Amino acid sequence: MKQAILEIESLRKYYGRQENQTKALDGISFKVLPGEFLGIMGASGSGKSTLLNCIATVIRPTEGHILMGGVEVGALKGSKLADYRGKEIGYLFQNFELLDNLTGQENILLPLGIHGVTEKEGNKHLRELTEYFEITDVMNKFPSQMSGGQKQRVATARALILNPQIILADEPTGALDSKNARILMEKLAGLNRMQQSTILMVTHDSNAASFCSRILFIQDGVIFHELRRKVPNETQQLFYERILAVMAQLGGGSANVL
Amino acid sequence: MFFDLVRRNSKRNRRENGLFFSSLLAAIVAFYIILSLPNQGVMGFLKEMESGAVDRLLSLIPAFYAVTLFMLFFLIYFASRYQLERRSHELGMYLMMGMRRSKLFFMLLAEDLWSSLLSIFVGIPVAVLLSEVISLVTARVVGIGILGQQSTFSLSAVLWTMAGFLLIKLAAFLLLSGKFASTEIGTLLSATPEGAKKQRSAMLYRIALVIGVLLLVTAYILAISGEAWYSLAVMGMTLSMGIAGTLLLFFGLRTVLDTLAKRQTGKSGLGVFTFRQLQENVIGQPISLAVSSLLILGALCFFGYGVSMTLYYGSDDTHTLDYTFQDAENPLAIPERLKNLGLDDCFESIFDMRIGHILSGDDNEGETLGMDEVLALIEQEPDSSVKSDLLGQYNNLNNPYVISLSGYNQLLAAAGEPTITLNNNQAVIYGYAAFTNREKAELINRVLSQKPEVVVNGERLQLSGTLQTRNPVTDRSITLYFALIVPDEAFDRLADKSYTHYWNAVLSHQFVQENGLMQAIQQVNQKLDTTGIHYESYLQSMGRQLFYQVSSSYLTLYLAVIFLVIANTAIGMQFLTQQRKTGRRYQTLVRLGSHYEALCLSAKHQIQWFFALPAVVAAVGSLFGVRALFSGFLSPDMAESIPGLYRIAFVILFLLCVVEYGYMLVVTRASSKYILTQMEANREE
Repeated sequence: MKQAILEIESLRKYYGRQENQTKALDGISFKVLPGEFLGIMGASGSGKSTLLNCIATVIRPTEGHILMGGVEVGALKGSKLADYRGKEIGYLFQNFELLDNLTGQENILLPLGIHGVTEKEGNKHLRELTEYFEITDVMNKFPSQMSGGQKQRVATARALILNPQIILADEPTGALDSKNARILMEKLAGLNRMQQSTILMVTHDSNAASFCSRILFIQDGVIFHELRRKVPNETQQLFYERILAVMAQLGGGSANVL
Repeated sequence: MFFDLVRRNSKRNRRENGLFFSSLLAAIVAFYIILSLPNQGVMGFLKEMESGAVDRLLSLIPAFYAVTLFMLFFLIYFASRYQLERRSHELGMYLMMGMRRSKLFFMLLAEDLWSSLLSIFVGIPVAVLLSEVISLVTARVVGIGILGQQSTFSLSAVLWTMAGFLLIKLAAFLLLSGKFASTEIGTLLSATPEGAKKQRSAMLYRIALVIGVLLLVTAYILAISGEAWYSLAVMGMTLSMGIAGTLLLFFGLRTVLDTLAKRQTGKSGLGVFTFRQLQENVIGQPISLAVSSLLILGALCFFGYGVSMTLYYGSDDTHTLDYTFQDAENPLAIPERLKNLGLDDCFESIFDMRIGHILSGDDNEGETLGMDEVLALIEQEPDSSVKSDLLGQYNNLNNPYVISLSGYNQLLAAAGEPTITLNNNQAVIYGYAAFTNREKAELINRVLSQKPEVVVNGERLQLSGTLQTRNPVTDRSITLYFALIVPDEAFDRLADKSYTHYWNAVLSHQFVQENGLMQAIQQVNQKLDTTGIHYESYLQSMGRQLFYQVSSSYLTLYLAVIFLVIANTAIGMQFLTQQRKTGRRYQTLVRLGSHYEALCLSAKHQIQWFFALPAVVAAVGSLFGVRALFSGFLSPDMAESIPGLYRIAFVILFLLCVVEYGYMLVVTRASSKYILTQMEANREE
């Protein structure tokens, strides 16, 4: 069995104290293997974004371990933490988070500047990414001059420019229309398929989730169900229908699960 | 509960916007200091000497007060607007929770009032203290400390300060709440719009930049050549070109910043981000940046002019005589009358300086003074402005004077200088010191060395020695621009019989040592005032000098400080507001792995550039501006000392750097504190 890129062990995140305590995550454990396209689904407030934020070190878990390539993420500090954020993970935001006063190219190259990587090394990769994501003609445009889909693809290129070990995507299609959402998911799935990129995506969009190879369903801070796409026989359509069935059961208690 | 909320909100406002709060304090201090000017010790002292001029100056104070009010109103208006904009979400929430608009209005009003009262409670004592210190320091500097320092505290100044301050605060508040009342809750609740400004073609901005620079250069040339002073129209044109040039320059500056940002692409660090932020700031507020720059320019010009004038008026060290007495009816009895008053002990020497017009005889066809030989020798000198100036002056000597040598020699002896020896047909030229610069004196002395002759009322006199410039009387109002110092016998022959006896007196060294010069003169004055003797004391001429010194320095420095405070607060607040508006970008950078230090460094660079842009434009302008003020206001001889004045200008530029650096530090600290809050990402579920 392959060595996991990301290991989550008994992760807990509690807000508040005693009676008022909210258990956003209540002992979640799972592994992400290299080349996997893992989806995390759940209703609003189920804890999926908290999970992603914990992995991205945006918030600190109350208990448990997050190991990236065998290294305890919680123990990282200072420049190592900054390097982890910039180089180990590539983060895709729901609302793109492009700096709207920087051009497309400047946005994509921003992580290079932050992490002191020279332009020369980045240029070849930049060309590949812009061609792959079909954003060559918006390189000199500001975000306000781009469509939503272009913005998210620029943001994806930015997340990939430093070749991160894993891409964390937080509802990447949340702010996109269905056409642009599909284009983005195809591009992400293509990356996963051709370059064995590892992707961890939080979504509540069943359509987007159907591009994943495995899906974890979270409810009330615990993993409630897991779906695996049966390759190569299961079509995306069939997988989508299975996802919908689970989603329909969500909130209805474990007794109703398929 | 309501007042608790008011108090807490107001405290938060002060903490979040410390820069603005300090500016309010500065405004209060400035108001009070200008309003308490009549109570300043030095003003009281001057009032005794120069009541007319002082009254005129003091009558200008309301105008200064009004101008300051007007300018501070804008600062307060914009600062309050920024503050309200920043809180718009919070205010929308109050409305959503069912707070009536009227209640919200009163809440904001109460917050504003509470802050204003606090500023007043802190500001007034500081202002009173500062005013007291200024009064003491000026008194010490000009040497009137021993007259007995009175408190400068003025209740009316306090009341007017409070009234003015509250008035502009209230006016700004009412204007803003009018705007706020018509805003929909939805608009208030939505995140602050980024204010994406409509961009026009890059060429337009380039053209604006070039035209701006051209206009500025033209304005500088007009100003520095002195042409701006020829007529009101040219002056108006120069000023308009300067202002329009500055506006266009800042309007077009984005192209330069765009280039700088592009150059940073691919380099390590946050260079691109830094310049793009800066560019956005400049794009967003070109007018307010240009106005800030113009204000700094104004401050620098006032500063430079004020300081130079102070030094110029303060540089007169030719004081020898303490008194000049006059009595038209019985001039020769003056020494006796002084003795009768018991004043002879006070004086070291009393001597007669006889000054009179040259007698115009009937046989010389109306020419009392023939300077042909002198003029011919001047003509031989190489061409220069000094030469043509002197030719002009010597060709038009109307009604020239003669001075008796014995009196003048006594003056020289009292000053510790060598006396002049002349034979019966020799004379020495006297010229007014303030109109005779070094170059002119050298030229005259070159001419005198060739011993030319002048014809005085038909009599030939040979000019000898060197040019004399020591003022023959105390009083500066009797000014001889040109005179011939002649031996007493010649004086008797040549002077109009209605000549004047000026009795000069020098106070005894011991008397001055015991009492101090000011006190000594005042004591003597008190005795003299009981008699009918007309006298002029050094104190009076010094009073006049002091008046110019105090009025020019005090008012120009006052305006300079106000302008600097307003400009820098506006720049600082503009930066901090934009930083808050774009706080999310800092969060994104943190998520992309930026260090706190790198973010602070980027912000620091932004701040440095943002302050430097208007300051540098102003500094360049000020070099020309101060020069223009000199060519407009200064006498020709002072224009000669312009290199010296430029040294002062450089000192002032250095001071500007110190002030700007101080502001940068304050803003950088506030910015770093803000960035720290952005490092902790918010929970977004």
